[in-house]
Order: sequence, then structure tokens, then C-alpha cells
Amino acid sequence: MFTGLVDNRRVLDRWFNPQKTPVVGEKPDYRFSLANERTFLAWIRTALALLAGGLACAQFLPPLPIAHLREGIAIALLLLGGVVAIRAVDHWARTERAMRLGTDLPKSRFPAVLALVVALGAALLMVAVVIKAFW
Amino acid sequence: MSPDPGASAERTRLAWRRTGLAATAVALLAARPAFAPGAGPGTYLAAAAALAGWAALVGLAYRRARGLDASPPQPGRRAVTAYAAITVSFAILGTVLVTL
Repeated sequence: MFTGLVDNRRVLDRWFNPQKTPVVGEKPDYRFSLANERTFLAWIRTALALLAGGLACAQFLPPLPIAHLREGIAIALLLLGGVVAIRAVDHWARTERAMRLGTDLPKSRFPAVLALVVALGAALLMVAVVIKAFW
Repeated sequence: MSPDPGASAERTRLAWRRTGLAATAVALLAARPAFAPGAGPGTYLAAAAALAGWAALVGLAYRRARGLDASPPQPGRRAVTAYAAITVSFAILGTVLVTL
């Protein structure tokens, strides 16, 4: 997921200036860079949707039978949104660098992990709804 | 420079706009507690921070659109990182707001 997060300064350079530092490889076709940027924006929208979900949980759910469960769900969604945003910029920068160097694009397990986390959350909510309906 | 048949610049501009709309929803939700009856100063501060962050995001997208208008379009650089950083700040602000 965050295989590049070893040397902090290098990672920050890569995030803020993926095309300039390091000055390696060749400038890719701008259409590839813009496609990479749109993928980044799609991930940012995913992050924003998680943030909106977290804030909506805290503001619109009634207090749940377990103390602070509502706040716990909200904070979990907000933290997940933050992680998605950080991972989005890291992946964007690593892709930009790979395109300059002409190497393989970075592979990532993150989409699978996020899908499993969301599916697990949905399953837990379904169980909660069923328990509430029949007991 | 021939016109871009794939309309990448335009599609990217629209992607920035969609993202801005999603950010607007988050900013409004973060500002909402300040308008509840009996809101404390913490919620006022959070609302001010949320609106300032929203303005920064809109400004970034606006500047980025100018880079996309160039020919050939300029790829995004710092605007991308700054956008992610402000999104992370919204996550932190939201967490503070929920624990308030």
C-alpha cells in the first residue's frame, strides 16, 4: 500500500513535484498525465464521500443502544476518508514517476482492502438491522 | 496544435468540478452544527475552518482550470497535492467536530 513511505523527504518531493524532482526519464504524453489526475480526483471524491458519510452519521443518526457507537462509526468513516486521500496522492505521484521512467505502473492492494472494509461494514449493519427487527 | 480528439482537458476540468461539488457537501455538513440551537464556540470555529478550506479548494480548482486551458494542457502538480492535503484536513476537522 505505502511501499514508498521510507524516506520521508523523498516522498514529500514526489508528492509535491512528481515531474520535477527527481528529473528522471521523459515527460509523458500529457493525456496520460491528465488520465492519472482524473483517477486521483475519483479517489478524492471517494474520500469526500466517506467524510460526508461520517459527518452525516454523527449528525443524523439517533443515539444508538451502545454508548458512543454512533460517534465510533462516524470517526471510523472520517479516518478511512483521510487514509483514502493520503493514499490517492501517493499513488498519483508514484504513477507519474513510473510514466516518466517508462516502468510498470505501481500495483496496489488498496482497492481490494477498501472494498473488503466497506463490505464488512455493510455486513455488520445488516446484522444490526436484523437483530433490531426480530428481537 | 490540433484539437484533442479525446477531450482529455475538458474531461479533467469536469472531474475537478465534480470533486468541488463533493467538497461543497462535506463543507456544508462540517458547518452545520454551528447553526444548531445552543451551538458553542467550538462549532463556530469548525464552521469557519470548513468554509475557509472550501474556499481554498475552489480556488485551487479554478487555478488548475487555467493550466488545463493552455495548449498543450499542463499536467497538475502542486494543486493535486494541496487538494489531497486539504481533504485530509477536513477528515481531521470532522473528527474534532464529532468528539466535541
